[in-house]
Amino acid sequence: MNEKERLEQTCLYALESSLRKGAGKVRVSALRDVSNGLTVLNDSLEKIQSAVESSLTIQLFTDDRYGSCTTNGTDPARIDKLIDQALASVRLLAPDTSRSLVPASLRYSGPPSQMAHNGDVSTDTKKTLLFDCAESVLQKEPSLINVAVDYSDYRRHIHIMDSGGLNCSSEETWYSLLAECAVKGANDTRPSDWEYTGGFLPDALGIESGRPSDCAVRALKRAMAKCNPVKIRSGKYKAIVENRVASTLLGPVIQAASGSSLQQQNSFLLNRLGQTIASPVLTLIDDPHRKGYPGYRLFDSEGMATVRRTVIEKGKLNIYFINTYYANKLQMQPTISAPSMLTLPGGKGNAESLAGFVKNGIFVTGFNGGNCNSATGDFSYGIEGFRIENGLITNPVNEMVMTGNMLDLWEKLSATGNDALQTSTWQIPSLLFDNIEFAGL
Amino acid sequence: MNHKKLLELALRKGGDFADLYLEQSLFHEIILRDGKVNAAGTNTDEGLGIRVVKGQNTGYAYTESSLPPDLEKAAKTASYIASGKVASIVPAAITTLNLPNRYPILTPWDSFSPQKKMPYLYELNDLIFGADKRVKKVTARLADSTSRIEYFNSLGIHCTDTRPLASLTVSCIMEENGRRETASASRSFRMGAEFLTPDIIRELAREVVTRTAFLFQAAQPRGGEMPVVMSAGSSGILLHEAIGHAFEADFVRKNTSIFSEKMGKRICRPGITVVDDGTIPGNRGALNVDDEGVPGQKTYMVTDGILTSFLHDRISARYFNVSPTGNGRRESFRYMPLPRMRATYMENCTDSVESLIASVKKGLYVDTFSNGQVQIGAGDFTFYVKSGYLIENGKLTQPVKDTNIIGNGPRALEMITGTGNDCRIDNGTWTCGKEQSCEVSCGMPSVLISSLTVGGRL
Repeated sequence: MNEKERLEQTCLYALESSLRKGAGKVRVSALRDVSNGLTVLNDSLEKIQSAVESSLTIQLFTDDRYGSCTTNGTDPARIDKLIDQALASVRLLAPDTSRSLVPASLRYSGPPSQMAHNGDVSTDTKKTLLFDCAESVLQKEPSLINVAVDYSDYRRHIHIMDSGGLNCSSEETWYSLLAECAVKGANDTRPSDWEYTGGFLPDALGIESGRPSDCAVRALKRAMAKCNPVKIRSGKYKAIVENRVASTLLGPVIQAASGSSLQQQNSFLLNRLGQTIASPVLTLIDDPHRKGYPGYRLFDSEGMATVRRTVIEKGKLNIYFINTYYANKLQMQPTISAPSMLTLPGGKGNAESLAGFVKNGIFVTGFNGGNCNSATGDFSYGIEGFRIENGLITNPVNEMVMTGNMLDLWEKLSATGNDALQTSTWQIPSLLFDNIEFAGL
Repeated sequence: MNHKKLLELALRKGGDFADLYLEQSLFHEIILRDGKVNAAGTNTDEGLGIRVVKGQNTGYAYTESSLPPDLEKAAKTASYIASGKVASIVPAAITTLNLPNRYPILTPWDSFSPQKKMPYLYELNDLIFGADKRVKKVTARLADSTSRIEYFNSLGIHCTDTRPLASLTVSCIMEENGRRETASASRSFRMGAEFLTPDIIRELAREVVTRTAFLFQAAQPRGGEMPVVMSAGSSGILLHEAIGHAFEADFVRKNTSIFSEKMGKRICRPGITVVDDGTIPGNRGALNVDDEGVPGQKTYMVTDGILTSFLHDRISARYFNVSPTGNGRRESFRYMPLPRMRATYMENCTDSVESLIASVKKGLYVDTFSNGQVQIGAGDFTFYVKSGYLIENGKLTQPVKDTNIIGNGPRALEMITGTGNDCRIDNGTWTCGKEQSCEVSCGMPSVLISSLTVGGRL
């Protein structure tokens, strides 16, 4: 029996057992995740980790009531005991008629989703990759304190089944390499930075090419560039937000567009569907079916089929992210519980070329803490980055804070790059904003 | 489980040290939304983590199975951190630690059904709606867990610990003239179901209503550098972010902490003492024993202004040739332990909060927070302020909200120019996210920092 069949059998057992014990409707999700990790610190293997993780989640819909239970055990007796306890609890709850399974018309009914490598990478190959990457910077730069290089991979099987007929599964692999360098800066500081690469095939790490990854070289360059930062005068500046952190600014928008935030009236996008909420420069697409990219998926956590959708079109909000529960509560059509793979098309160039349009600005390369008020959209984030002067990225800045309101911020988006990283599920390029408030000196 | 055999297998390639961490956890939650307790969750989790240490290097594997072949496979996997052909260490004979109990359970959670819990959430909901007509929505979540830990290591240490944890979080949305505001409040203790009392419900209701209503009067402040008075209690987030992480000795051992070369040196003015404490009864950060068999204890990190101890796990303690400080913690059996904080706070000094405020001509007073972060090597830390006041000519004036404050750890410590006599531990649901989630708490008397950068409008 292969892994898919084993998970399917576990789901079927839990589903049938729940129904037998009196549940009205049931959804069952099973996960098995096999992962490995190795870390090299300078010239030594610092960590090896190996894990096999399982989980079984049973969602029970009975007498218009709802509850869930989760276990990492697959023993039938343990599953049965858990269902008994969960059903007893569920029957004590207040009714909630909005809970339901995914309607048949929206349910995923296609073949298993497959984005997985066939085969394994040997431990020796992983070690060679790590040591070669670390060696590419060791003893090349006197200010280098440490280089740490992490390798990790996983193979994840998911199976979802419900009593309405849903039966879907996926298999996914991911291989990644993360290098972090710390260097000696002024006044006891030790600036550090990282670089990451990954993909669903081991080729993403250059294993086949025989060339060492340049992650450590790039991480070292970034760390050294951060030495001797200065704090500059408070003011309104043009801001370029680098591709690898730009999603931090999009996160509150996506959260505000979620069913849970809207239903609880805890959203600055309440009653804004169909309205302009951002600059015409912003078009945002949820594109779940681009095979080979992170975020690829055919169904969501409820088993609802994913669909390509334009979330924001030239600044106009086209959809909310609404699962079946909040669709029922809000009397709206369900869309999807959360975005899968966000892309932002239409831009040109990268952060450096965008800087060419900026006479006096700040290039934000990292966020340090901060938050956004979900009801009002008011935000405040600590930043690190660089000064932009006359079109050029110059000296590093730190201890500064970027503050404003989300709706106002996105209205000030004036240009986007086309340099989105292909290693994250939200593929957001570098972004240029006008007149952003930064507090410093 | 034959612990001796597993430890021998783990050490078979020449590891210096091995340990076994067996965990069984049971977790429950109920949720109130739209006036009804209409969702419940139960989670059971169990497994064994096996660690092998060779020098400063670690091999780690875990299994969720209790079958001997799976346990042995995990032990063998962890053993590969060492590359020898034979064991050089033989596991010592086991002695069980006799530990104090800092979190006795009077009413076990597994005997307390949802039916008994629900009235507390309904009471909370009613009190909040009854307190202010502007309340539109209330969400409350009651979560409890009980983790049973058994630990063995190759030094012969064996211990068990039963760790309860109860958390109640409530948030509310108010609306006034089409404008909405939201705030939340929480309490968390290592307790059984005796955690639920009418008093805690009244406290939380009052707190969340006051906090939310406050925001309608408040605005984001004008940004820039200014003196900041941090109120007693949750301002302890300053200690957690500005110095606590940088004192965790894994960073110091790797020479990536900005405090790496400061041991024994003055880092702030005399009179300031900062501790990390696992001994506060019932506290969210309390530990009878840490996750590598070291008894819970109180660690003086800064004594009278001098850096006196880092926070150690067994690896860093061995590296620095000091005793471990009981800070080796992990999220669960799925993770290897790391130096982590427990309850971090500053001890009382002599100033009154009124005198601290009165000494500021133009600055900020801050009293509730949501989250923080630090860059260990650069030392830059931030914390997000949910509410506070401007200080003008020594008095609290305009209410402020939603601002991030940023500073540099060593410099901020040097700039603590006043310290209050009103130390309080904050008992909210503080969770630290360094690689793994870990329950902590924090506290502080009121302090005055002569200059921090406040985010705000211009």
